[in-house]
This record gives sequence, structure tokens and C-alpha cells, in this order.
Amino acid sequence: MTVVQTVLVFVGIPAGIIALLFLAVYGRSLVRQPNRYRPGRPWTFGPSWYVPHPEAVLRPTSGPATTTAVGGASGEW
Amino acid sequence: MSGELAMRTTAELQYGPGGQRDAEGPFTPAQLARLDEALTLSSRETGLTFSVYVGEFVAPARAHAEALFEQLDDSSVLLAVSPGQRVLHIVTGPESAQRLPNRACALAALAMRASFANGDLVGGLVTGLRMLADSAGSR
Repeated sequence: MTVVQTVLVFVGIPAGIIALLFLAVYGRSLVRQPNRYRPGRPWTFGPSWYVPHPEAVLRPTSGPATTTAVGGASGEW
Repeated sequence: MSGELAMRTTAELQYGPGGQRDAEGPFTPAQLARLDEALTLSSRETGLTFSVYVGEFVAPARAHAEALFEQLDDSSVLLAVSPGQRVLHIVTGPESAQRLPNRACALAALAMRASFANGDLVGGLVTGLRMLADSAGSR
């Protein structure tokens, strides 16, 4: 065997097997990320506002309602 | 009841006033379903109207969150989160503040911060909704 063949057999094949195992384990999460938020990364999505289903609400509001903020809490991470 | 909720599709998820919808939102369908279930269950259980805002705040952030809240009604609770600015605000109104003292809101905010710092946005929102619903009790 030449040097090139030796290197291919003893380095190339193990590296190939390791790469295959890596892809089998982490491949799916590399392609599609179930959780796209990472702290510190910029947030590129537009604002969205989610409210419950109307039938779950005791008093469905009709028309534009207004109120004033009374209390609450804040936090940073 | 749980079966009925599980069958709901995310297309039925309601969007609040001023909530814009991107072609591709920040959450996967499975995450939206979790959020929808938590929102609906906690609102049904407590009789308060919980809503979740995810997006940038215009500075000052607290004033922006309160301005958003003013479009809701007296028995509403707003959980507003800006992942880019790493800020969250919980806002209560005249009626909901009687059920949810600031102490309960601060505790929920603390739990939400822990999840958000780990990158689990939906997990934090669901935890916050559950804690607030537990604090408020049933109607």
C-alpha cells in the first residue's frame, strides 16, 4: 500500500464512519430547528399577539375595549 | 375536554388587536398548539382573559406594554415578551389586579425568565400562564 492508500484506509474510513454517526444523531436538528430562539441572537420576526379562543372567555368583548394598566411585573434575562 | 383541545388546529389560533402575522411566524405548529392550549385553559379556568404578545417594544418598554394592554378589557392579563431585547412585562388591569397581586406576577415573571434564559420561549410562556392561572384561582 502506498502512503495515500494507508491514510485513506486508516483515517478516511474512521472519519467517514464518525461523520455518518454524527449525521444520524444530530442531522435532523441541524436541518430543522424546533426552537428557533437563542438568547442573544437578534429577533427577526414581526410582532404577534395571541389571545384565547372566544368561547373560553367569560365575557366576550364587543367592539374596541379600553382599560388602564394597574399592576404587573417586569423582568430581563 | 382534553380531546377537544388536542384536535384543534393552529389555524384557529386567534390573533389579538394589532397583532400582525408574518408569512412564517416565530413558532412551529406544535409550539403554537401548546401556547393555544395553555392560553385557552388558563382563561377558561380563571375567567380572566390572558393574552400573549411576542415582539419588539418601542422604548420605554413598560409604557409600550401598557399601551398594548389598554386595547384589552378590565379582566385581561397581558404577557408581553420581547426576545430581541430580552425583556418581559406582565400587565394587569383593574379587575385582574384584584385576583393577581403584583407579588404573584413577579413570581411568574421569575419562572418565565429562567425558561427564556435557556432559550425555551414557548416553555416559559406556558409556565407563566399556568402559574398566573394557579395564583388567580378558579372563577
